[in-house]
Amino acid sequence: MKPANLLRWYPRAWRERYGGELAALIQDNLDEGRPAWRLRLSAIGGGLRERFRQALHAAAASLTSPAWHNRWGTIVLAGLICGFLAGDLTSPLSAAPRGWQGVALDAVLAAVAVTGAVVLADGLLALPALVRFLRAGGWPKIRRRAGWGAAATVAAGGGLAGLVLVSGSHPPAQLNASWAYWAGVLVTGLAMAAAIGLWAAAATATARHLTLTPRVRAAQLVLGAVIPTAVTTMLITLALWWSATQDSLTMLVLAAANLAAASAGTPGKIRRAVRRGRRLRSAASGR
Amino acid sequence: MSPSGLRRPNDPPLLILVSLADGPKHGHALAKDIEDFAGVRLGPGALYGAITRLAERGLIEPFGSDDDRRRPYRITPPGSAALAAALADMRRVTRAGLARLGLDPA
Repeated sequence: MKPANLLRWYPRAWRERYGGELAALIQDNLDEGRPAWRLRLSAIGGGLRERFRQALHAAAASLTSPAWHNRWGTIVLAGLICGFLAGDLTSPLSAAPRGWQGVALDAVLAAVAVTGAVVLADGLLALPALVRFLRAGGWPKIRRRAGWGAAATVAAGGGLAGLVLVSGSHPPAQLNASWAYWAGVLVTGLAMAAAIGLWAAAATATARHLTLTPRVRAAQLVLGAVIPTAVTTMLITLALWWSATQDSLTMLVLAAANLAAASAGTPGKIRRAVRRGRRLRSAASGR
Repeated sequence: MSPSGLRRPNDPPLLILVSLADGPKHGHALAKDIEDFAGVRLGPGALYGAITRLAERGLIEPFGSDDDRRRPYRITPPGSAALAAALADMRRVTRAGLARLGLDPA
């Protein structure tokens, strides 16, 4: 057994600080004739605990960071609602929406299109810098995160496809009474949330490696102010649509109040982002 | 949990602080000492997990050494204070337990 191999279970930062000491300790224990399997278990357990702690710290940091305030909650909600939506949109009930349901569904689709366009624009702005980064051999730095995002996307896509198939072949009443169907909806929603979160984390990690021009950074500041509102609006329109399909007045009122609250702060955020962008460009041009 | 994070007599952080109370030691010497005085055999993962927590809380610190692979640690003043407080708590509980059992007339 090579002690150095066991260090792979630990996070990189921990290895850099304590790795040499731990390897020496394991080697000392081996020299004393301690059972290798026990040492291996202890080191692996320790490594997994450190990775768990690191993940907890990272999650806590993102939750307390002003930039990510509420964003993880939004991501989870988005995934769950998309999961429920996947089941409901394909059901015969919504195949022929009527009255308010039709209006609400149009609002959902418009919100999804606008949010998608804003997110796409944000990504396209960084595309030239991303291409330069990849051509310079940057892929290994983001490969693992992109791999996790892709794996979660495949899982979410599989769940979604299953839900669509099941929704199309069973009557709504039968689906509503099936715990397996709702478990599938929940799991698909969580997989979607995981995919969205992992891609967001991959994008954030990739952005750290990109060299963006002041003009692009200024534009991204504005889009960064718009995107959270767009996502929130999309979620609220989903809630509105749902309240229309369920004839729930309480949910309708709550969603409308949320929509008003979310919209109220947006102009101020955009104005501040524009001012920061101008300052950024001025500083870059030396004025 | 106490503010210092020290809970039970067989908690690895508490055992490490007790071991370091009489002078700096590196990982292997710590494990041997703990096994001798407490009869607890700490695996490398548990030992370095506890060292990491204690160092993060400033209760122990690395002590100068040319050999980075066998770096000694020493207890810091806050570490000594936390250890003293934890041991005082344990002594209070121990005394109460012994008195109630009629084993400690004091």
